[in-house]
Amino acid sequence: MNLLTLQFLSQILLLSIVFLLIMKKNFSAVSAYSLQSLVVVIILLNSFFETKDMWMLLVILVMLIVKVILAPVFFIRLIRKYALAFSVSTYLSTPITLIIITILVFIAHSQKLIPLTRIVPDHQVLLSLALSSLFLSLFLIVNRKGALSQIIGILSFENSIVVFAVFANLEQSAALQLGIVFDIFIWIMIASVFISMLYKHFGTLNVSSMKNLKD
Amino acid sequence: MEILFIITTLFIVAVINLITKRKSIIEVASIIASLIYLVLSVAIALQVSSSGLYAPWSWQFFAIDDLGAIIVLVLGLVGFTTTIYSVQYLRQEMYKNIIGFKRMKQYFVLLNIFFAAMFLAITSSNPIFAWISIEATTLSTAFLISFYNKPSAVEGAWKYLIINSVGLLLGFFGTLLFFTSIDLSSAGLINWQLLTANATHLDPLLAKIAFVFVLIGYGTKVGLVPMHTWKPDAYSKAPAPIGALLSSALLPIAFVIILRYKAITDIVVGPLFSQRLFITFGLLSIVVAALIMFNAKNYKRLLAYSSIENAGVMVLGFAFGGLGVFAAVLHLIYHSCVKVVLFLSSGNLLLKYNSAKIFNIKGALKIIPVTSVLFIIGFLIVTGIPPFGMFMTKLYVLSSGMKEYPIVSLIALFFLALVFVSFLKYITTMFFGDKPDNIEKGENNIWLLIPQIFLVVVIIILSFYLPPFLHTLINNVVLQY
Repeated sequence: MNLLTLQFLSQILLLSIVFLLIMKKNFSAVSAYSLQSLVVVIILLNSFFETKDMWMLLVILVMLIVKVILAPVFFIRLIRKYALAFSVSTYLSTPITLIIITILVFIAHSQKLIPLTRIVPDHQVLLSLALSSLFLSLFLIVNRKGALSQIIGILSFENSIVVFAVFANLEQSAALQLGIVFDIFIWIMIASVFISMLYKHFGTLNVSSMKNLKD
Repeated sequence: MEILFIITTLFIVAVINLITKRKSIIEVASIIASLIYLVLSVAIALQVSSSGLYAPWSWQFFAIDDLGAIIVLVLGLVGFTTTIYSVQYLRQEMYKNIIGFKRMKQYFVLLNIFFAAMFLAITSSNPIFAWISIEATTLSTAFLISFYNKPSAVEGAWKYLIINSVGLLLGFFGTLLFFTSIDLSSAGLINWQLLTANATHLDPLLAKIAFVFVLIGYGTKVGLVPMHTWKPDAYSKAPAPIGALLSSALLPIAFVIILRYKAITDIVVGPLFSQRLFITFGLLSIVVAALIMFNAKNYKRLLAYSSIENAGVMVLGFAFGGLGVFAAVLHLIYHSCVKVVLFLSSGNLLLKYNSAKIFNIKGALKIIPVTSVLFIIGFLIVTGIPPFGMFMTKLYVLSSGMKEYPIVSLIALFFLALVFVSFLKYITTMFFGDKPDNIEKGENNIWLLIPQIFLVVVIIILSFYLPPFLHTLINNVVLQY
């Protein structure tokens, strides 16, 4: 896969997070996450074609099952079970959100972060895009009030780190990657259970309604 | 061999607890597992003390250095005492119909997985595997924090899950950046030793960025200010023994992982960078915790803030170096023991008064005298009153910083004094005065006291006498950091 294709895939990843930041429906958010996970799998597949490590193929397969299929299925079941068609709003308005997105992407591409984006000089653009995705995922977690959006934000953050690691040639051994995917899978299951618990106790997934704990 | 035996035992017991339908089997199996854990942790500590680094299979999977051995020992000690307490504590809760058998079973399954994850995190030779294990501690404890399934407990657990997951992902990103010093295509499984040996190949600016990510990431788990927000919520909502373990076992483990990265960063950019960061976070943790403690309303939250404050003292000790490191390691040991005493005693208070609000607790000394005395002793120890060891450790930490950072030491001293005043205020409110008429006098059960008494004895002994093997381990840590 040439650099342009990888760049295109990284842009899809970035745009999926921008979409997650401004979308209004939970189903769209889950679809966007599924798409970005598919992009991550394709980027990893490219890495496999270079190394020809069969264990890596197993990791990719497990990742495909967990992130592209199982996680969205879990989330869609939750959306249907609790009739959560519309996502909870953001803390900041859409125009301000868009301005912050622009600033974060600009920062990720700035000279200040050259040590991060020049880890592999040939991949500077790719690393800048991965770093932008990373920043936007963090912003997604803090800006959205919905518990489901926060979960997807964390998973997007993890996807961005995986992509950054691939472009920076920091991929771990297959055994460790399997461990990480397994960890993520358990995390998704636990987070899904917590979504149900939150809904049962609070009648909403709006985390700003949780005000039981104060000093 | 000991390492595999401990891990296998904990996982087998978790599985036994999962499949059995008998309460007694769950209790006995869990106690046996924690006892094995304690005995073998002592064996490991003795081995590391006499022969140095314990790295079976040539660093392939596990490695225990001096600081690791101290933490393994602390884990064994607090693990055993909290398990003993948990058995009786959950019996009392079942008796009061607060929980049922299913919950009790769930508790002991997760408890053993939590122990195993903590043990793997501290003994793993691979930084990524250590990260996976720390993440596993978050996953195993999330349901322990939401254990009582009340809105506030679910809220606390949710905050814990989200904040720690984000923090750990930041830590993961920082970890990956440290790997840029090594050619991963030919290096195989990376371990701490390899990372340290290759530290000079790391770009200095990248090392600084990586360390900041690691400090924020694992610092969230430690509960350093400003990443501490989950801590009072989680500690106050979890069952008392889990609060004790989060404070006395998980906190030091995450801190040790930060220290390992600090050692690597110091090789690349010199000690000043990490020192300044440590001073900032350490002092901030002491100041913010002390200010909030002054207006605390809930005694379990008070203990959570006390953990933040003491984490700040440890961080300052490692920032100042030399004697400060020696004091910080000792402080870590004392703090782990005394926090178990305080949390478990707070569990007794909760069982008796059915409230965690400070102002709902009156005349406790007359109602549950032994628990009250234990809590008061715990207060004296944790606030650093002589002759207890924490007086010396706090004094040494602050005095070691007095030469280069006198203002920092003086500010810390002032706020540590404020912590004492705050604690004293609450102790007076809770334990002295007239007892309420509607609460029956008498302790719940002797087994809800023995673990704390045992730990108080351990603290008193360690305040006046350090066993030679422990002295050797701490001295080696000072040389290393």
